[in-house]
Amino acid sequence: MNRNQWAAIFLASMLALGMLTGCSKKENTNEEQGTSPSSEVKPAGSSAPIDPATAAKISGTVSFDGTAPKPSKIDMSQDAACKGNNTSETMVVDSGKLANVFVYVKDGMGDRSFEVPKDSVTIDQKGCQYHPHVLGVMTNQNIEIRNDDDTTHNIHPTPKDNREWNESQPPKAAALEKQFTREEVMLPVKCNQHPWMKMYLNVSKTPFFAVTGSDGKYEIKGLPPGDYTLAFVHEKLGEQTQKVTLAAKDSKTVDQAFKQ
Amino acid sequence: MPEKPVPDQDPIVTKSYAPHYVLAMVILMITLFWALWDEAFGQRPWKAYQEEWKHRYVAFLKTATHSSTNAEATVTASPDYKALEAEYNRLKSQTQPDVDRIQKQITDLNAKIIAVQNVFTDRRAYANALTYEMETDTSASGKKSKQRDIDDYKARKATVEYPDGHREQYNFKELEEKYNELRDERTKVSAELGEVLKPVTEANTRMSQYVTDHMIDLTPTQIEGLKKKTAEWDPKIQQINVADANIVDRCESCHMGAREPLKISAAVMTPKGSKRPDEYAQAFVSHPEPGLLKIHDPDKFGCSPCHQGNGRATTSVEKAHGNYEHWLWPLFPKQNAEAGCQTCHAADMMLVSGDVGWTISEGKNLFRQRGCMGCHRYEGYDKEPEDLTAVNQQLKLLEQQKIDNSKQSAAMMKQADSAQSNEEANRLNDKAVALRVASSKIDGQIQQLDFQSHSLMQDMKKVGPNLKDVRLKLNKNWIPVWLKKPTDFRPTTKMPNFRLTDHQIQAISAYIWQSALTDSPPKQKPGNADHGKQLFESRGCLACHSIGEGNQTDGGTFAANLTRVGEKANYDYLVRWIHNARERTRPYCPYEKKDIGPEDYAKKGLPYQFDLQHSQCPNDGHELQVQNMTVMPSLRLSVEDAQDIASYLMTQKKQEPSAYTDASFMDDPKLKDEGKKWVRHYGCAGCHEISGMEDEGRIGTDLTVEGSKPIERLDFALFTETAQRGGKGAEPITDPEDRERLPEGPAKSDWYNHKGFFEHKLAEPNIYDKGKVKTAEEALRMPNVHLNKEQIRAITTFLLGSQESSLPTSYQYKPADTRRDIQEGWWIVTKYNCVGCHQFIPGQNTSLMGMARYKDVQEQLPPKLLTEGARVDPEWLRRFLANPALSTTDTNRNGVRPYLQVHMPTFSFSDNELRKLVRFFQAMSQQPMPYIPEAVPTLSTKENDMARSLFSSTAAPCLKCHATGDANHDKNATAPNFLLARERLKPDWVERWITDPQAISPGTAMPSGLFKQQNSQWVFAGPTPSTFQGYTGDHRKLLTDYIFQLTAEEQRRVAASMGKTRAAVPSPTRQKQADNSHPTAGHGGGR
Repeated sequence: MNRNQWAAIFLASMLALGMLTGCSKKENTNEEQGTSPSSEVKPAGSSAPIDPATAAKISGTVSFDGTAPKPSKIDMSQDAACKGNNTSETMVVDSGKLANVFVYVKDGMGDRSFEVPKDSVTIDQKGCQYHPHVLGVMTNQNIEIRNDDDTTHNIHPTPKDNREWNESQPPKAAALEKQFTREEVMLPVKCNQHPWMKMYLNVSKTPFFAVTGSDGKYEIKGLPPGDYTLAFVHEKLGEQTQKVTLAAKDSKTVDQAFKQ
Repeated sequence: MPEKPVPDQDPIVTKSYAPHYVLAMVILMITLFWALWDEAFGQRPWKAYQEEWKHRYVAFLKTATHSSTNAEATVTASPDYKALEAEYNRLKSQTQPDVDRIQKQITDLNAKIIAVQNVFTDRRAYANALTYEMETDTSASGKKSKQRDIDDYKARKATVEYPDGHREQYNFKELEEKYNELRDERTKVSAELGEVLKPVTEANTRMSQYVTDHMIDLTPTQIEGLKKKTAEWDPKIQQINVADANIVDRCESCHMGAREPLKISAAVMTPKGSKRPDEYAQAFVSHPEPGLLKIHDPDKFGCSPCHQGNGRATTSVEKAHGNYEHWLWPLFPKQNAEAGCQTCHAADMMLVSGDVGWTISEGKNLFRQRGCMGCHRYEGYDKEPEDLTAVNQQLKLLEQQKIDNSKQSAAMMKQADSAQSNEEANRLNDKAVALRVASSKIDGQIQQLDFQSHSLMQDMKKVGPNLKDVRLKLNKNWIPVWLKKPTDFRPTTKMPNFRLTDHQIQAISAYIWQSALTDSPPKQKPGNADHGKQLFESRGCLACHSIGEGNQTDGGTFAANLTRVGEKANYDYLVRWIHNARERTRPYCPYEKKDIGPEDYAKKGLPYQFDLQHSQCPNDGHELQVQNMTVMPSLRLSVEDAQDIASYLMTQKKQEPSAYTDASFMDDPKLKDEGKKWVRHYGCAGCHEISGMEDEGRIGTDLTVEGSKPIERLDFALFTETAQRGGKGAEPITDPEDRERLPEGPAKSDWYNHKGFFEHKLAEPNIYDKGKVKTAEEALRMPNVHLNKEQIRAITTFLLGSQESSLPTSYQYKPADTRRDIQEGWWIVTKYNCVGCHQFIPGQNTSLMGMARYKDVQEQLPPKLLTEGARVDPEWLRRFLANPALSTTDTNRNGVRPYLQVHMPTFSFSDNELRKLVRFFQAMSQQPMPYIPEAVPTLSTKENDMARSLFSSTAAPCLKCHATGDANHDKNATAPNFLLARERLKPDWVERWITDPQAISPGTAMPSGLFKQQNSQWVFAGPTPSTFQGYTGDHRKLLTDYIFQLTAEEQRRVAASMGKTRAAVPSPTRQKQADNSHPTAGHGGGR
């Protein structure tokens, strides 16, 4: 069977003798092209610069429908060094406005890549609470973790898609510097010695994110025009999304309401 | 001669054969070219592969060089490298003057040597010639005169002109001395140069070593080497030849990338423009698991021992892969590639290396957990009964030997008494004594074997429940409903679906019911179902059992789903079961083949007591089966807690037990005999204990070498042709549920191979009965085990690899060292589902890990056991495994981690299994056995004070998380009590643990970074107390030593003072409120 095929191929090539040389030359050039592997690292996304003249803006308010549960008190008596605000920050609602919601562009950026900001963001451990309670950073952006308490903390992120670590930080110790390399939303960070201490990191590939303040407000600036999916994530109430279309220099208001 | 007229049409003249010749010639030429071409290429398809490989790999290496150069630039830009470079440059410039000087010296010397050498070699040659003449001269006078000539010649002075122009005169001797002197000097100076250059060379080596160490991938130089090697490659057969094992594998003639040091994927080998990797790209990938090749060196193992196929064939891909009818061992299909592991690793239960081995391990585990071994013998599986028989036989032999010995020794002593001489008598007496000693040794052996047999009795387990207890345990009317189709009642049950007729069901239920024990379980008080629910969900039941159906299911798959247990169970029995599942209704005597009751004990005036300590038959002293043959452990619950859990479980039902149709036919004695026939026919006793069938053999085929059965002996029945032909209608299974089970989906092409046979058989076990006319007795008996795709793939992989290997036995993985301990341990670890709670190897998920209740409280999960053998003292471990409460009185708790809601259960391991487990853990952590603990030095008062200040410092508040035994303190505890350390832990491990706990138990609550390395000393990372000034010891060691000699008293003091003044260093004399903190829990049995 195989031999017949070869014989046929051979005959055909005999007949096409005159063409052979030309052909093989062509083949060679094909091969030359073919040899460079297709999965060569692509230039990281089409990082066409965003024209500030056309950049658009989204802002809005996140509210909470229904009666907010009273913030629970934390018993910090196990450590005398823990002084200060001892209300839980899981649900911070002020006259119907929901704080600590992470708002980010979940979809629509395509394979655009963005430069990592040189500035670090800070997590401060003070009064045995994390400040802020919800934080957004870019992938690979430096995070500086400080301990302003008179007690030892340990910083223990328990990520889903990033690497886990757990490091001790004595009082007055030098700040820890850490980065996360993969996108992840609501990545919990805790302290094993003070079980109530908890915060959420949000690692984003784009610089387009914000966290709502105590007035429920957020603002994302500098967006190129396009169709986006905007996601609102709350540690307890989960994620909700909205679609937004932005024209050049748009300034849109996108509000979102969470229900219990 | 009349002239014959020349015919007009003379064929000789007119007919030309030229076309024929031309045609023949063309055909001949074609044949010749074809033959040549076939010889060069047709028979050698690998040549095309190698040519293609050269092009594609070189191109790939070019891109790799690019990224590697970038990576190298990053490495060389690092400050560490810069420092090395600066050091190198400094040394270089520092030594440069010396180097220049010495090099000049060498050059000068060389010139001088040449000058001297020129003269010297001439003269030496001449002298030698004269000497030869003298030697060959025959006359004595001639010799004398020649000698004189030589002396004259040697005394004559010669002129040497040195390179700088000045001349010297030397006689021969001086010349020789001068020459040697110069040469010696040159050697000396060269050595000096080496000495001077040494630091420079070393600095240079450090630089390149730094680059190699810090480059994750290959360095540009290494890649350049590969590129050169590939570009210069001359196509040739690549062959691995292992003569001892008869392995000749030429696979790498096409699979050129298999062993390349770079990761080569099919994607990077795909030519630009084509979307899918072509056959070349697929062939060139590097081996997906290089780690496996490290432990299975291809130069020793080749390829085919793992992958099968015809390693010698080179003429086509089909032949090389063995996918043709004349080759018995075709390449293992990609989906079942791990079958290859089984061919040598049949004795292993767990075979994981990187990403490889999960499927085959799952297959092995399923074969056991799903009860396949109940019907099918497979070497190594369920071997306790076989071992027990062997032990008993050995016992008999030894007993006999003892009798022989004593007879013989008596005879000898008798002879001695009447011996002729004292010498003779003494000799005989000595022999008799030796025999008595030998008998005593046999006694020791017998005791060991008795111990073995006791253990084996305890180790024998059944996959299914004990059916002697059905009357105590079950809702009678439920039984026939269950037998009809177990998955209708409990979709995830291990009980397979037998295709029973209604009449068979009635008969079987009747036999089971009538043969069962008629005792009744003790009455139990009703419990609190809410508390029971809480316990059920938190104690660890869900590591094995599941609850809820469909996507509501929560828990493990090892044991039954309890969603509808309230419909079938008897409450009183359930309480007893939960309290201690091993508690048996009546002990069974394998010798008498009888369940022993109180009457048997009463006859001998013995109390009706049977447990592991009272396991001898009152009638004949034989070892009894005193436990239920289940792996379900005791959770050391109080009776009340057991009642609460049982009450909760009784609420788990979809309908009332009373709603089941009356099944009083089960009491019909006429059905019993027929029932017995069917119970035997279907091999029920393979998984269940059934009265009168304790010694039933297995009814199925031995599957130990099923994978090497010739295909003709696998009975495809009426589908033989369909399977061979393939094409439309190739799939005989029509039942939609069963079709779903096929790992590769319904057959589209031919499936006449082992894989096809096994998969179809497992998906629908009676498929090969289809279309056949058979009686109920003749029909295939294998029930439908309702496996899913992945499970069938896993079992098929296992069966494909179940082969009689053609390799030498030395290739079988049967190690005799500690690796055997690992092998044996895994059988026990999987037998009791330790993996449901504990992580043994990185990447292995436990049943509990994924559960929502632990998401935010990972520290509530049972500990990871990644380095358990290195962590704990083996003797302590043995005690702990035997009694995880570490106490004989206070048992309703965890001995080590009282803060965990999950309790480590008591498995009531036999001594045999305890030993194996302890050895397993030690071997898994490469710990030597026996373990001889290192001596912990006693600390001086000063050291003690220093260590205490560390132990209680604000920067390392150990007691904040570690339990102390004080209930008030321990409600926040998340780590074990230090007082256990001395007996439990190994000091070297503690040191490593406090240095970097995350490396030992990833994700642990214990933070890293408590210590840091300063110069070559390990010091505390926080603010160090002033007492440490000038201390040069290792801070970690100091703290470890302190922990190992910590007393309850000291711990109480430290805890109390920490509660009072946080930052201050407590004074050891301060005795405060030790009254309220008696450490009752936490260190009871351990101390």
